[in-house]
Order: sequence, then C-alpha cells, then structure tokens
Amino acid sequence: MTMTETRPEPPGTDSAAVVPPVAPPPPAGLAGWLTTYDHKVIGRLFVVTSLLFLVVGGGAGAVLGVERIDSGLQVLGEGTFAQVYTLHGEVAVLLFLVPFFLGLATYLVPLQVGAAGIAFPRGSATAYWAYLVSGLTLFGAYAADGGIDGGSAVGTDLYLLSLAMLALATSLALVSILTTAVALRAPGMSMVRTPLFTWSMVVGGGLTLLATPVLLGRLIELYILNHFGGDVAAVGAFGQIAWFWSLPQVYVLAVPAMGVALEIVPVLSRARLRRHVSGIAVIGFSGILGFGAWAQVESTFDDTLYVLAGLVAVLPALALLGLLGDSVRRGGFARKAPLLLALGAAVHLFLGALAGGISVIPGLELGGTVWAAAQVHYTLYGGATLAAFAALWYWSPKLWGVHLSDGAGTAVFLLTFWGAVLLAAPDLLNGLSDQTLMATDLDEEGLATILNGASAAGGAFGVLGVLVAVTATLGAAAGRGTRALADPWEANTLEWATTSPPPPHNFDGTVLAVTSAAPLADEREHARGPAPSQETR
Amino acid sequence: MTAPGTIAGSRAALPPAQAPGRRKVLLVGTLFVIAAGTVLIGALLAGYFSARDMVQAAGEPWPPEEVLLPNVPLFMGYLTLLMSSFTAQWAVSAITGRDRRQMYVAIGLTLLLGLAFVNALSFSWSQLGVAAESSRFATTMFAVTVTHLLVVIAAHLGFVVMGFRALGGQFSPDNREFVVSAAAFWHFSVAAGLVVWYCIWFLEGGP
Repeated sequence: MTMTETRPEPPGTDSAAVVPPVAPPPPAGLAGWLTTYDHKVIGRLFVVTSLLFLVVGGGAGAVLGVERIDSGLQVLGEGTFAQVYTLHGEVAVLLFLVPFFLGLATYLVPLQVGAAGIAFPRGSATAYWAYLVSGLTLFGAYAADGGIDGGSAVGTDLYLLSLAMLALATSLALVSILTTAVALRAPGMSMVRTPLFTWSMVVGGGLTLLATPVLLGRLIELYILNHFGGDVAAVGAFGQIAWFWSLPQVYVLAVPAMGVALEIVPVLSRARLRRHVSGIAVIGFSGILGFGAWAQVESTFDDTLYVLAGLVAVLPALALLGLLGDSVRRGGFARKAPLLLALGAAVHLFLGALAGGISVIPGLELGGTVWAAAQVHYTLYGGATLAAFAALWYWSPKLWGVHLSDGAGTAVFLLTFWGAVLLAAPDLLNGLSDQTLMATDLDEEGLATILNGASAAGGAFGVLGVLVAVTATLGAAAGRGTRALADPWEANTLEWATTSPPPPHNFDGTVLAVTSAAPLADEREHARGPAPSQETR
Repeated sequence: MTAPGTIAGSRAALPPAQAPGRRKVLLVGTLFVIAAGTVLIGALLAGYFSARDMVQAAGEPWPPEEVLLPNVPLFMGYLTLLMSSFTAQWAVSAITGRDRRQMYVAIGLTLLLGLAFVNALSFSWSQLGVAAESSRFATTMFAVTVTHLLVVIAAHLGFVVMGFRALGGQFSPDNREFVVSAAAFWHFSVAAGLVVWYCIWFLEGGP
C-alpha cells in the first residue's frame, strides 16, 4: 500500500464533487440525532431501530408458531391470525433485515472504501427518518384494522402508504450507499479490490434498488384501487407484496450476509482467501440468480429456467462454504463469537439454498406448503439474521468503540443456530405432507402437532437469541463493554485503519492508496519483512 | 497490531499515489435514481398491460367503451414535453460556453414547457371523464400517469433549484455537474413520458 499526506487534485477538478461534506460535530442528545448527517450516527440509528423492530417481528412469529401447534385457533381470531401472519413477514424483512444491512452499509461502506463521508449524507438521514416514520405508521395501520386483510379502508390506505414510504426510504438509502461505493473509493481500489461486504452491498443493494421500484409500482396501483373503493384482497394483493421475500428474491436479500461471512471468517481464522476474486464471483453469481423474482407468476413455477435457477442456486452457497472452510482449514479455528456466528450463517444459507433447490423439482409440488416457510426461515433467519448478529459482534469496536461480550455472542449463536434448525426442519417434513401456508386446520393432528410444537419451540429459542443480541447491542450503544483498539482483529480492510469509533471525518490526515484487496494485511506483512504472500487479487 | 488512528508510516519513501480521476458523485447518484425510476415506470406499465390482457381475455373492451380519449391535447402535451428536453440540454450547452444569459432563458423555457405539459395532462384527465375506481383501465392508467407526473414534478424541482443557484452566481464550465445531473433527470422524465404516451394513449387509439 502506498500513502501520501495529500492527494493532488487534477486541474479543473470540482473539489466539492470529490469530497462529500464532512459532518460537523453534532449537538448532544436528541437534537444531535435529529439534525445529524454523519453517516456513522445514521448507520447506528438504522441498526438499533431495526433490531427493536426485530423484537416485534420475532414476537409475532412466536405467536404464529404457538397458534399452529394444534388444529384450530387458540390465541388469535381468524382475521387477526391473517393480520399477524402478514405483519410478521413485513416486519422481519422490510423493517428489520433490509434496514439492518442498509444501516451497517451506511456506517461501513464509506470507511471500507476510504472515504471521508457518505455520498449523500442528507439523503441517508432522510431515508432513516422516513423508515422510522413509515415503520411506526405500519403498526398504526394494523392497529386501525388496516393491512391486506383489514376491515378498514382508511387503515389499508395507511398500510399501503407506509409500505410505499418504506420502499422510497430503502431506495434513497441505497442510492447513497451505491454512489459511495462506485464514486468515492480510495485511489487504487478497483471494483475487484473492494472489500467483500462493500461488494455484497453493490450487488445485493444494486439488485434491491432495481426490485424495490417494482414493489412501489404494485403499491401505487393497490393504493389507487383501495382508496377509490376497490377490493385489494380480490386482486391477490398479498402475493403482489410477498414476492419481495419469496424465492428467488430471498437470495438477493441474503447477499449481504455472504459478504459479512466472507469478511469475518478469513480475518478471524487468520487465513486470507486464496483469491479475493473468488469471493467477488460467488457474491455476484448469487445476486444474478436472485434477480427477477418480481417477474414470476404462478405459471412460471414449472418453467425450465425457474427450475434450473432454483437448482443452480445451491452452487454459490456451496462455494461460500468451500471458501470459508478452506480459510478455517488453513488458518485454524478460533472459538470467537463472530466466527461462530458467521460460519453458522453460511451453513444456514446453504441449507436454505438446498431447500429452495429441492422445492423447484417438478413433481414434488411443494409450492404453497410450509416447505416454503422453512426455506425462507433457513435463508433469512438462520442465514441472514445470524450474519447480522455476526456483523454486530465483529464490527462492534467500530460501531460503538467497545467489544460485545464473547459469552453473550456464543449464547446468541447457540440459541439462533439451533433455534433456526428447530424452527425450519419440522416444516420441511410438514411440507412433504402438504401442510399449506397459513393453515390452522390440520389433517393429521398427531405427527403434525408434534412437528408444529417443535417448530414453535425453535421459534421461542430464536426469540430468546434475539433478546440476548438486542440487549448486548443496546449495552454497547450505551458504552458498556471492553474498550476496543483501532484494529483488534488484525483485519484486512480500511475501516480498521482508523480509531474505534472513527472521528467525524473518518480518517486522520492520511489518504490511502490501495494496491491489493487487503491493504492492512499488506502493511503488516511489509512491516514484518519479506514473507511468502498469499494471492489476494 | 495497528496503533489507533494510524497506518504504519514507513511507506513515505514509496512513490505517491496516483491522483484519482474526476469523480462525478452527483451524476452517479442521479444515474442510480434514473435506473430505479426506469424500473418503476416499467413495473407500472407491466401492471397496466397485465390488467389489459386479463380484461380482454374476459371478452370486455379495453378501454371501456364510454371512454373517449382526448387525443389532440394529449399529443400536444407530450410533444411539448419532448420540446422541453431540447431546452434542458440548451441550459447545459449555455453554461459550457459560459453564456449565463442563455442559461437563464433555457432554464425558464424548460420550466415553462414542463408546466404546459402538466396543464395539458390535467386537462386531458378532466376530459376523460372516468373515475379511478370505475374500471381496471382507469385504475392502472391513473397509476402510470400520476406516477409519471410526479417524476416530471421532481424534475421541475431540480430545475427550480438550479435556476436559483444560477441566479446566485453558481456554475461554470468546470463546475456544472449539478446542471448536467438535473438535465439528465429531465431527459429521463421526457423519455418516460414518451413511453407512457406510446403505451397508453397511442396504442389505445391515438392520432
């Protein structure tokens, strides 16, 4: 890596376009949060808010799990069950998973690419507040008997408006992140050398930016229909929204999880990927396979292309496991919470892809059964959510300046990993016996009741894991924990080249020139003297 | 372990980093917005055609027989919008040539033509005489055209901001990224308008 004290500007360069505005020190307290455009504060707000929404979404899922154990409804009414069912999916994906990775990327991408700030800080701030308001509005809409199966037209209007605002907020945040990754990279950092989390946001975020407007389009049409007296349920409204977290869109949502795992495992196992470009390729391939979910209608489920894509989707998940396994084999396994969480996430991503691959096999007729729920839970809960927790434990020094407790991380791993297994595996068996999604009346009560009970227990473990993770994170956000050094993991990427947490302008006085995908590792190797270097390009 | 806030400083003797090329952050961001906007308009049109296929498959007319399309004001409206694309690009050319007076005229004309389009579209809606809930045609048509109108209004906002900044003495041949970005978004709004005109108004019995 090469460094200079100052970066010479080419003649005629509009410096305002090169360096984004550096945030001044924010006022303290609530005023600071409300007026900040420091990407790090905005990122933290996104992360913490999304975790609080996860508690609600997980709780709703646990209630659904209990309700499914026996035939008939015990806890909820008929209409309420449908409302809680749709709320669970919307909160888990639109209010937790997507915003969590948006927040993490808002915080990390500028640091990883060596920029002094994010491209459009006010855009990111607007996106966060729009996300918060629309999330709260969504709950208000459900409380007002809105939602897809709601009885109140005004409540349903509010519901559709809140989802539309969420889609806009997501797009706005993504534009800021993507522009930063494309236009504000440090000298020498080609796209092939970008850190793998940033690359995963370029791929997953880019594809989400192209999918979210489709959702927005559907919502606009449904809003006009509902507002002027039409029946949105009659035009299959939930299906027009739920594709956003169905096969194959789930793979796009899981792409940042792959980036997280590929960042963490090589660092903590102390063995860089043999070839950085292999990580780039796996992430890119996974994104390509996930694109186009919005184009599918029921008749496409039998198409050769759909079946082929579902089967081939197993390959990038398998390749991910191979890359991570190779790092651990060469470097060794260090029992640290982020490593456990990241490896657990990779295993679940593979199981999710495998379940997705089996579900498209013609003749099995698994569409519409709880097999699909198992596949989504493996991918988005066991895979992406576990990766989100891995990211919290790994990047906590940067986010909050302190380490999260390793013991708490191990507990989160055990509860979430095995909770996800217990949650999803029984649904695979129930799916094979044709138990349909949203079914509350069971044909074969004996075995189905036992399996549904096991699944509900898995959900309960998962909720416990979420509570431990959220409590630990809130503690770190409040400054409790062991103070962290700038680079406690001896990591490879530029976010570790600054203090923990970083100053408002991100880097102190140095402009970095990158000559490989692991600039900090290069620095260390150079300091230690000549040694056989592993290929990273 | 790396010390906090630093990177090992022993590389100072190495050649300095190559200076980065000019980075058009705003333009890159605008292109991402245009990409998302293109998908949005495409999705709405896909919804429109999907609804049309279903209605026609059921043996019903599309658009409903009572709907009379006001072809002349629609055509003139979209033609006006197309003309505004030329004046928007004129603003870019003017600042490239350091001609601020021409830039003011170009911005003013662009906004005027855009407002004329908004007026023509509103008039055409009133002439259609259909309520949004009256048919699938009306629902999907309003979804597409209202969304496109919002895109046009967003492009107006960009040009209004550009106008005030130009009047405040900003922009030069070396500092015109905002002008280029606003013009790019304006062109997108015009291109989207032409596609909407062709897919909805022309295909359904235009001039």
